[in-house]
Amino acid sequence: MASHSEHNVDIHDENNYDPTVWVPKTTSHGTKDLWKKFWVLLALTIADVVAYFTWPPSIARNMFFIFMGVAKAWYIVGTFMHMKYEHRKLGYMIILPMVLIMFFLYWMMYEGNFWGTYK
Amino acid sequence: MATQTISRSSIWRGGNSPFNVSYGKLMMWVFLLSDAFTFSSLLVGYGAIRYSYPATELAQIESLELSFAENVQEKFAAPGVDAHHGEHFIPAMQDLEIFSELHWPSPDLVFNHFPFAHGLHLPLIFVSLMTLILILSSVTMVLAVEAGQRGDKKAVSTWMLLTIIGGFMFLGCQAWEWTNFITAGATPSSNPYGPPAFAALFFGVTGFHGFHVFSGVVLNVIIYINNLKGTYEKRGHYEMVEKVGLYWHFVDLVWVFVFTFFYLI
Repeated sequence: MASHSEHNVDIHDENNYDPTVWVPKTTSHGTKDLWKKFWVLLALTIADVVAYFTWPPSIARNMFFIFMGVAKAWYIVGTFMHMKYEHRKLGYMIILPMVLIMFFLYWMMYEGNFWGTYK
Repeated sequence: MATQTISRSSIWRGGNSPFNVSYGKLMMWVFLLSDAFTFSSLLVGYGAIRYSYPATELAQIESLELSFAENVQEKFAAPGVDAHHGEHFIPAMQDLEIFSELHWPSPDLVFNHFPFAHGLHLPLIFVSLMTLILILSSVTMVLAVEAGQRGDKKAVSTWMLLTIIGGFMFLGCQAWEWTNFITAGATPSSNPYGPPAFAALFFGVTGFHGFHVFSGVVLNVIIYINNLKGTYEKRGHYEMVEKVGLYWHFVDLVWVFVFTFFYLI
């Protein structure tokens, strides 16, 4: 088993937790899923481009683009950033504030509309 | 070392890692969350300011009868003027009041350039290419992380190098995009397309993102060199590759939303 040369402790030992060196053991989940998610992201981007050229601008189209952005974020965070293999609490800590931010973004776009009306 | 029994009901009392991640990786996640707040504030500001202006009338854009890959410089050149020299499209749009300070310009008419295709109307194609480059470099990054988990030093080198190349390609594309925008006359305080805030926000948001890409490339180069020197092999794990990988994926993630809000909507 690998050990840290400077500290001379087992860096993976859960019962001897030293925050300066401790690191959990990681295992590879293979590359098949990664390539699959690449094709998914590519397909979502191509769908965006197709929608851009075939669908006249409307609020529904904008909603579609934002939904596609969130879908891409889902795969990037989940698979590429390994969030689906992390402790669930870590996921909540990161994702919940961002969900609230999405509402903020929507509200401010809505609010901006009124700034224009009363300008 | 003293043996102590850790009660699973008190994981928050210290002596263990509640999320089962290393200190460095947890801090990278916290940093990325704070960085996501920064980018969100930029996009929130963009959304509010953009929608405080009316959009260009769709009927007005449709009346131009633009077709894909058509030479717009030739189409809008005044009779008797050499269409191959000078800018004809933007002044024509200003005369028609399609580009005016009263409404937000359509990205379709602003970002319609492609390298080596001067004057042709190719909206969205160049940024789609940039998106593809960034997604590909994200895949090579995650493959480097996966190679690190197997302790395959050589594979880490190969994938890291490809990621660095992808990063430089993206930066090159962004430099080209900015050059186009600046030579057309856009500055942070004024631009030929529409309200001054349009170019100010473009420079602010894509510039901030571009600087993140640049920092990411620098970090990737450091990791690449460290890996060649065998630093991680000696340490017994390749978690640094994973931590820098998180940053790199975050940069890709931000681009997804910049692409959505600046170019698609």
